[in-house]
Amino acid sequence: MKIGIPRALLYYYYFPFWKAFFEALDMEVVVSEETNKGILNKGIKESVSEICVPIKLYIGHAIQLLNKEIDYIFVPRMVSIQSGEYFCPKFMGLPDMLRHGVKGLEGKIITCQIKSDSDDISAPENYYPMAEVLGVTKEQIQVAASVAREQWIGFRMFNKSGFTAVEAMKMIQTNDSLEVLLNNQQSSKPVLRIGLIGYVYNIYDPFLNMNIIEKLRELNVDFITFDMLEEAQLQEKIKDMEKTLFWTFSNKLLGAGLRLFHEPTIDGIIHLTAFGCGPDSFMGKLFEFESDQTGVPFMSIRVDEHTGENHLQTRIEAFVDMLKRKKFIA
Amino acid sequence: MKISFPYMGTVIIYKKVLELLGHDVLVAPRPSQKTLDLGVKHSPEFACFPFKTIMGTYIEACEMGADTLITSGGHGPCRAGFYGEIHKRVLKALGHKFDFIVFDSYARDKEKFIRNIKKIKGNNSWLKVIKAIRFTYQMLKEIDRFDKWIAKNRAYEQITGSVNQAWDEIQKMFDLAHTKKELKEAIINSEKLISAIPLKEVQERNKVRIGIVGEIYVVMEASINMEIEKILGELGCEVERSHYLSDWVDHNMLPSFLKRSHEEEILKKGEPFIEIEIGGHAKQTVGHIVDFKERGFDGIIHLMPFGCLPELISQSVIPKMSAQYEIPVFTLSLDEQTGQANNKTRIEAFIDLIKNKKLSNHQFSA
Ligand code: SF4
Ligand code: SF4
Repeated sequence: MKIGIPRALLYYYYFPFWKAFFEALDMEVVVSEETNKGILNKGIKESVSEICVPIKLYIGHAIQLLNKEIDYIFVPRMVSIQSGEYFCPKFMGLPDMLRHGVKGLEGKIITCQIKSDSDDISAPENYYPMAEVLGVTKEQIQVAASVAREQWIGFRMFNKSGFTAVEAMKMIQTNDSLEVLLNNQQSSKPVLRIGLIGYVYNIYDPFLNMNIIEKLRELNVDFITFDMLEEAQLQEKIKDMEKTLFWTFSNKLLGAGLRLFHEPTIDGIIHLTAFGCGPDSFMGKLFEFESDQTGVPFMSIRVDEHTGENHLQTRIEAFVDMLKRKKFIA
Repeated sequence: MKISFPYMGTVIIYKKVLELLGHDVLVAPRPSQKTLDLGVKHSPEFACFPFKTIMGTYIEACEMGADTLITSGGHGPCRAGFYGEIHKRVLKALGHKFDFIVFDSYARDKEKFIRNIKKIKGNNSWLKVIKAIRFTYQMLKEIDRFDKWIAKNRAYEQITGSVNQAWDEIQKMFDLAHTKKELKEAIINSEKLISAIPLKEVQERNKVRIGIVGEIYVVMEASINMEIEKILGELGCEVERSHYLSDWVDHNMLPSFLKRSHEEEILKKGEPFIEIEIGGHAKQTVGHIVDFKERGFDGIIHLMPFGCLPELISQSVIPKMSAQYEIPVFTLSLDEQTGQANNKTRIEAFIDLIKNKKLSNHQFSA
């Protein structure tokens, strides 16, 4: 059987798990191509206009998989990976939206509910409902889930030691960590270090964000993202809040942001958000308050369906210049 | 202590329960352009529309001297649950001093719920609190009953404006009732009032019934949904909403062993399209569409705040539902820039379409 996985949303967090899982069940895994104009346009065309760009992209990627002779597209219903918290409503309704809202996808979606009390989503119960369609036994699922878990933990380990999720994926897949390491070497010592706060699907899709990671590296700016931090570090600043945001990944970003605002080695914070993101609108406000309090410079970049590359470049450069002036002149 | 609260629907209810407990209550002005302007100015740009409106209301209330704000924590996992946190910070930054009481559902945090009740309770005896709540709840049920009658019969008034006028008077009468006896009188007088309104006889097959579904705040608060019930009434349609305050109280505030099953049924009906509760009222929205169809309604107006997360999922599945259940649905997304005139024309066109369809069906069967 051939299973398609859209290169979007939590691909950048869970793909190593899903790939290993399906492969352990003797399935072939096909990933949609890197985001391009065509994928974006298809997504825009097939979704309701007000919805956020990352969801539009996901829809575009799912449609693209239809040309790849897949049997099913795997669209998990992400419900909760932390007790008392949930996913953004659009994740929880994702299979519904694809099945009933996008032409040609009904009957092509395979789904299951992911519920867990931590990031580790390997509990086999999550996947049992797919056993019949996949034609496998519960025992096989148990084995596959534990193989997948190993892979995913390895991936997260690289990720948490400072590599981007994309690099970490390569390292775990090719077993050739050295090459990635070498490529990752910056020519000279970074002049600045910033917090780059955003969902994995905004930070790691170079098409969506005009390759912000490359841009920062060219400017000799080191950065840290939420997925590079340990869970305890993410929780530190938010565990005492009377109310957090309800959505796990939003809380992770919030925790990362609040922490980095107080970290002496951090020169500034960039919040990378996508047009139409509801949760981020509140988070952005909290970061503004935090920036006022700590005096750490903060910039919010909102990417949308037609962000101009020049515009983005200029804003990043201006922000970096400002940080440099602040650091080296004052 | 001067208490105020967000403005949503029949506000005399919130006022009543607080008054009965001896509090000084300040009802903020009905949301106006000024409210929206204030709210927009002091909210994050992409906050949801209800957030912005309530922001404006709080500012107005604080400026008028309120020192205590009461609100509910919102339903299900959505942004509304976090409204209070941001509202609080913005108001503080503006220099207002106040106590903020957020009621989350009993199930979510029992201790906090009790703590909040105690704040409201003040020096009253528990018996008095229970009596006040029971009284208000009864009144709420009655008001909702009249509210439904009004929305149904507005279409058939012979004298223009007579139904709206009666509704205003009914609310006034209820507002003045503070004892069981007064409540009874208010009910009787309201009954008299509406039975005296001359109504047109309309043949069953010429009646047009429209259900309004969607996010609770924009469905319930007329001042921010362009008074859609009135618009539809003027166009000759009977109207029913998916949300009434009493249903909301039943579903959210009562401990689960007292829960009525109505809302559960609605949720079941939504299941084929939105499998689980995803936050806000999205699953109710699709459930109510099915329910309205089963009850013979002719069309649905789906109201959502611009960019509302869960309602965008409903909006995505609605075209298919509409085709499968053969019921026209019109989604209207509302925000502070909603062009009234433009939307009114679109609503008219939608109703025309429904009427024409009905007409041609009769002719066909005749
Ligand atoms: S968190 Fe924001 S960007 Fe992500 S799916 Fe939800 S609305 Fe879209
Ligand atoms: S349901 Fe819609 S309006 Fe309500 S908090 Fe969520 S996004 Fe905002």
